[in-house]
Amino acid sequence: MDRKELEEKIIELVANSYGVDASTLSVDSVFGEDLKGASVQMVGLVSEIENELDAMVALADAAACKTIGELVDKVEEEL
Amino acid sequence: MSVLDQIYEKAKADPQKVAFPEAENEKMMQAAYECGQEGYIIPVLVGDEETIKKLAAERGYDINVFKVVDIHEESYKNSVIERYVALEDTKLKEKALGRRMEDPLYYAMAMQKIGDADVTFAGIDNTTGDVLLAGQMIIGLKPGISTISSIGLCDIPGFEGSEGSLLAVGDSAVCTNPNPEQLASIAISACDTVHDLLGWEPRCAMISYSTLGSGQGELIDKVKEALAIAQEQRPDLAIDGEFQLDAAIVPAVAAKKVQRESKVAGKANVLIWPDLNVGNTSVKLIQQFGHADAYGPMLQGFNSVVCDCSRGAPVSEIKGNVVISAVRAAGAKKK
Repeated sequence: MDRKELEEKIIELVANSYGVDASTLSVDSVFGEDLKGASVQMVGLVSEIENELDAMVALADAAACKTIGELVDKVEEEL
Repeated sequence: MSVLDQIYEKAKADPQKVAFPEAENEKMMQAAYECGQEGYIIPVLVGDEETIKKLAAERGYDINVFKVVDIHEESYKNSVIERYVALEDTKLKEKALGRRMEDPLYYAMAMQKIGDADVTFAGIDNTTGDVLLAGQMIIGLKPGISTISSIGLCDIPGFEGSEGSLLAVGDSAVCTNPNPEQLASIAISACDTVHDLLGWEPRCAMISYSTLGSGQGELIDKVKEALAIAQEQRPDLAIDGEFQLDAAIVPAVAAKKVQRESKVAGKANVLIWPDLNVGNTSVKLIQQFGHADAYGPMLQGFNSVVCDCSRGAPVSEIKGNVVISAVRAAGAKKK
């Protein structure tokens, strides 16, 4: 999976976990501003990343990501 | 009979299966053993079977008191995975769960999710964050609940409240600065917790520095908004406010300050703090000046009971919390 495909997949997973339309998101979307939600959504997202991409990202690392792009970086490190 | 004695009696009448994923830890194994031998719970030790049995023998424990689950034994693990993924509303799929279950904490919670254990008790080797994450991922939150939180049960000498010397308070430990939705979740969870543990009819007061609009400002608005959400979500519960502390628990003050019908004012048995600054400080005031025993924090909001104990906890405290967790689990089953 190349970087572009990974970005698209993670945007899709973020959209599902946070209940938003994927077309409104990009790698620059900011957790906490564009994506409002409690840690519950982040736990769901980390679980989905494990299920779909076979990458185990620690919740603390995922929660530290400011943007979707930073999360893509973290996942890329685990693949 | 003290409240803790009553809880111990309840546990003995209906022992629950408590899974211990940190069973190799000396204090945890001792607490599990004593609780099992005294008939309060059925201790399920989850880990490497050979190591657990060796340590139990070295420590002089009768292994028959325990049920030991070997995380390396494939057939039972596969059965747990199969039953877990067949459930609705679980987050992990087969492969991801199998990998997580290499950690006894996740293994124990997966057993709990499918009903092979009633409680997971951890926190002596794992951090609170580890336990909360595993709980949210494997056990999940109750429908309509947006945050994990906690309550403590205070036994306050000389206090003559609606439950005698007892008062439940929350959240004093987990949720730092709840938004209105989260504060509503804390109140709802607290009501369920005291009902499951103590059989109380909860009367829950949302605490503020204002009573029914006597003050104004954003701090009060948050509490009012939370109250509205809680009442809408659970109209079956007696949750009321916003009240100052005295208006919540002193009938004479409530009579003056609350000029309308209230099932809660003056006779609250559950107090919900607006944030952790208030909660943590208040519970310390109760302990220091009220010379109260405070039991907990009891985690709440999960689909079933998960308990996180303090890493520095002595065996006696661990035992108390194990038994409290077991009674909560038994109470929740009766609903």
